[in-house]
Amino acid sequence: MEADVVRSEMVLPPVMPFKRVQMGDKYQKGQSRGRYWKHLKQLLQAENFISLPLDEPNYLNIESPPSMYPSKKYCDITGFEAPYVDPRTKLRYADPEVFKRVRNLPNEHVQRYLALRNAAVIIR
Amino acid sequence: MGMERSSVVVLDNGGGILKAGFGGETDPVAVVPNCIGRPPSSKKWLVGDQLQADDADVTGVSLRRPIDRGYLINPEVQREVWDRVFRSLLNLEDLSQSSLLLVEPLFNPPSLQRSADELVFEEFGFGSLCVADSPSLVHLYEASRAQGPAVASLVVDCGFSFTHAAPVMQNLTLNYGVKRMDLGGKALTNYLKELVSYRSLNVMDETLLIDHAKEQLCFVSLDLQHDLRLSRKSGKENILKCTYVLPDGVTHTKGFVKDLNEARRYLSLPDGTTNCTTDLASKMGEMGGQGDTDKAEDRRKVDLTQNEFVLTNERFLVPEMLFQPVDLGMNQAGLAECIVRAVNSCHPYLHPVLFQNIILTGGSTLFPRFAQRLERELRPLVLDAYEVKITCQENPILGVWRGGSLLASSPEFESMCVTKAEYEEIGSVRCRRRFFH
Repeated sequence: MEADVVRSEMVLPPVMPFKRVQMGDKYQKGQSRGRYWKHLKQLLQAENFISLPLDEPNYLNIESPPSMYPSKKYCDITGFEAPYVDPRTKLRYADPEVFKRVRNLPNEHVQRYLALRNAAVIIR
Repeated sequence: MGMERSSVVVLDNGGGILKAGFGGETDPVAVVPNCIGRPPSSKKWLVGDQLQADDADVTGVSLRRPIDRGYLINPEVQREVWDRVFRSLLNLEDLSQSSLLLVEPLFNPPSLQRSADELVFEEFGFGSLCVADSPSLVHLYEASRAQGPAVASLVVDCGFSFTHAAPVMQNLTLNYGVKRMDLGGKALTNYLKELVSYRSLNVMDETLLIDHAKEQLCFVSLDLQHDLRLSRKSGKENILKCTYVLPDGVTHTKGFVKDLNEARRYLSLPDGTTNCTTDLASKMGEMGGQGDTDKAEDRRKVDLTQNEFVLTNERFLVPEMLFQPVDLGMNQAGLAECIVRAVNSCHPYLHPVLFQNIILTGGSTLFPRFAQRLERELRPLVLDAYEVKITCQENPILGVWRGGSLLASSPEFESMCVTKAEYEEIGSVRCRRRFFH
């Protein structure tokens, strides 16, 4: 068709046989286009990757796994490098002064420090 | 001498920057940011390259990106950007005569593939479409420039949204060997925004300005502990410190680095060996710098009237994130290990070949000393018998586009496309089976 005929939109929109919802019906003339777009997370959930076979690669499979090498351990209270772990509370500490503080902490604080590191044991 | 432009439009739809041009040429015509933005003072949305114009006011611009984590989820916004690119920048009137070579990310979910096809064929009405993925295009481009035949290579693409380490063999990306890190230019900019906002001015809205600051000032450190110690020094001895001035709308509309010489002082640091500070201080005396009037108190005060902020250790901590994501709390391995995992998931015969041909591409590899640091981290992780050779592309941002341009000008291109008529008859899903991923 000539360009000006198509542009003037006197022609009916094409009907695609493979589609369930045609473009013309999705965006009616005169109505504003939908403002709501799905974010990637929602799309991925809709994709349902768990049902796909495990050996074929897909978006979730190819994420880089955590490091094989041991990570650096930092003190939970001060943030310095922590070579030691308190056997009673399992908190990491850097100095003897910090250790004194660790032993004097109430239990609630201990659990909160561990939870920061995702190391708290939750007993239901 | 009219050179006939081929009718193939090569479009690299990147999360940060969109590159568009005609097939067969060396450089794309349009290299524009892939977003639309609205300055707080006006109601009009600025599209793509209008944001880069000299008179555009980019402070506090609210951006909307069509691409979220690398995948095209918002065809509406994308349509506006493409409209501007095709009509104003490429000056294409009749799209039904041209074919489009679109570069999409790997593992595009089928629903997004459908919406992209819809956008190309039904909204714009291109004549035919071919979809490619970035690692194979990079491999194609590098293979055409190298002397010997490159059978396989490992393409490390550090882009805006994420970083892929993808093995490519003979122009075919090995899907099972690709490993992805969710860190990219966007995450680096966000991290720098957080650091600056915490320490001096609140710049959480100024994405484009901090992008610019990051490109100008950040570098990769070769010895992290040494550089951290250096950044704690005060005054003239701190050769890493530099200032970035924000625009104030009256005298200048774009941000800039206050003193480029000062910003480049770190280059005199030798690679990683500890150095005695008196040496350095005397060398610094000859180079320019603002160190004279610096006192310890001045360093801690932030002068809010002057709209500028000082960067010291953020300069190398931001790219450090790519090598140690654990520092950010992300439970993923660094770039070097990602590469090793990617290679290990391929056939053992391929390992030496892949390690010998590592190609770095993507905008985030432009940090100075990136390749050096990567080689230094990668070498201990690889078997002694294998040789590790890292090649940087000469223009990492345009590298994928140039590969696409090469592909578009090859004789088999026509047979790889899907025409509009075929799309209308058999639909998007069956058409996509023609392309290898």
